Amino acid sequence: MSRKIERLINLTIALLATKRYLTKSEIFRTVEGYEGSPETKERMFERDKDDLRSLGIEINVGSFDPLFSDEAGYRIKSENYQLDLGEITPTEISLLSLAADAWQGAALADAAQSALLKLSAIGVPADPIDIPGISPKLSNSSKDLDIVTDAIANSDFLTFEYLSSDLSIEDRNIVPIALSNRSGFWYVSGVDQEVQEVRTFRLDRINGDIQSRKNTEGFEFPVDFEFDEIRTATKAFAVIDVRKGKGNALRTLATATKDLGEWDQIRVPIFALESLAVQILWHGDDAFVHEPAELRQIIIEQLTALKSNHE
Amino acid sequence: MSKKISAPLIRTARLLDLVPYLNTHQGIALKELASHFDVTPAQMSADLTTLWMCGLPGYTPLELMDLEFESGFVSIRNAPTLSKPRSITFQEGVALLLGLDLIASSLPEGRKDLLTAVVSLRQRLITILGVPIRLSVIPASSHAISAIIAQSIASQTALVIDYHSMYKDQNSKRTVMPVELYENNNNQYLRAYCFTALDYREFRVDRITTAEPTAETALIGISKPNSEKIELTITMTEPSRDVAERFALTQVAIGVPHTLASYSRQWIARSVMASGGAVRLDAPLDIRAEVAKKAQLMLDRYKAE
Repeated sequence: MSRKIERLINLTIALLATKRYLTKSEIFRTVEGYEGSPETKERMFERDKDDLRSLGIEINVGSFDPLFSDEAGYRIKSENYQLDLGEITPTEISLLSLAADAWQGAALADAAQSALLKLSAIGVPADPIDIPGISPKLSNSSKDLDIVTDAIANSDFLTFEYLSSDLSIEDRNIVPIALSNRSGFWYVSGVDQEVQEVRTFRLDRINGDIQSRKNTEGFEFPVDFEFDEIRTATKAFAVIDVRKGKGNALRTLATATKDLGEWDQIRVPIFALESLAVQILWHGDDAFVHEPAELRQIIIEQLTALKSNHE
Repeated sequence: MSKKISAPLIRTARLLDLVPYLNTHQGIALKELASHFDVTPAQMSADLTTLWMCGLPGYTPLELMDLEFESGFVSIRNAPTLSKPRSITFQEGVALLLGLDLIASSLPEGRKDLLTAVVSLRQRLITILGVPIRLSVIPASSHAISAIIAQSIASQTALVIDYHSMYKDQNSKRTVMPVELYENNNNQYLRAYCFTALDYREFRVDRITTAEPTAETALIGISKPNSEKIELTITMTEPSRDVAERFALTQVAIGVPHTLASYSRQWIARSVMASGGAVRLDAPLDIRAEVAKKAQLMLDRYKAE
């Protein structure tokens, strides 16, 4: 086994050291470890290339001579192989260690630690950051993060079954472009292939396994996508009366408050009508909606159903 | 990607990462080197022996790497090709970027210098990854509060906290002696002795709006159970993911009664109200009557205004 490892290291060194593309026959002639019949060498080399690529090492294929493109050549460009973070300070090393440690025991912990190992080779010692108690954790981990990040890297398709709000199971097919964590929940955003628009999915609402499929069609990243776009873009507001001293959760959403004596009148931006209705109902008779009519309608319907369900 | 990598490949990666590390840590003790790479000293010796046989084509002593480790201290010469650290993979970059985003949100105000460093690191990492990607983390609770709590646990000092009780919809100021921080269902909780309630209490950290150390200390009493479990029965009347998640239902069939338990009457009443027509509370009967009464009261106001 160690002969294979030696061969892989020697191949990496040879392809990195060369200033031009090396042909296969040159590689077989000069790199130690390629033995046996031409077919055996060929198979060995194909497997070695795949192995190095799976370690994240990019091998460029090019023509030995651009005028006579008879035989393909190979090389590893040092700018692709080497880590280039520019000048790095001891404080930055500490921040990166904290970032890696945030994954302790969680999904990408191994990836984070192997990144740290590479960074340690830069030889810049960490400068402990003087902030007491700072060690945030990305605790709640999802087994799907691996497959999602790989698909984002290659713009591959992800297909999965998704639990919709009425508990029906829908088949989804997306090209993922974003990964986020909100209050401990993981979300993946991607271009839904059915509607060709960006949609966001909570990973723990995915039913069963996520399948990944190679994307050979090419993909254009939607340039105008930002996470919290809707949050800033909304123009719709609800006008709600909230009893004095009550409705704290609703008050935190308010952009304006007017004193009405026993009640306060607040203005709340609307991002999703249904979820705002749920928050208002949670507060019972401490909250009363004036506007918009659609929201009043939802509340009245729910209250009517509540009444008839509990009589 | 990482999960499919075989043992020989893991070793290959380690050998490639060893060379740049040795370059900047000449003369490191073999033991220390082994523990940095998380392997036994024997495995590290085997790794170095393998590496010793590698080099540029030609493979004469002039082209081979020159490793010295028999003394128990390791140094390397003649390895210019592999001397720089390997670039990070996409997944490694994603892990660091998400981690950095979390750090950025936990930095105390007034540490703009660190925030600037995080932003600059993020930009450099994104350039290395070379793929447009959006990554972000917004934690549930303020890490500034968690950090104050963690410190007060370590130093055994009491805290004055402003706490918002979601179920009671009330704000209260309390003096507490923190015991531990723990996580449950994505939420961070503080277990503390509450000098206001004269008993142990659990507080959700994201509902603590302020926390300040106080000199007040008092003897801590003995824990006693503070409330009784209330059994409730609910039936889903319309399919709703919201309801399934709110009541943590594992089985989501329509019309099937579920018996659950809660410590809070307010939580039961509010959760049923928030579920609207999607759920029916079958028991306890007094809370059921309360829900019907409140719905009627609210409907009356909507009709009037």
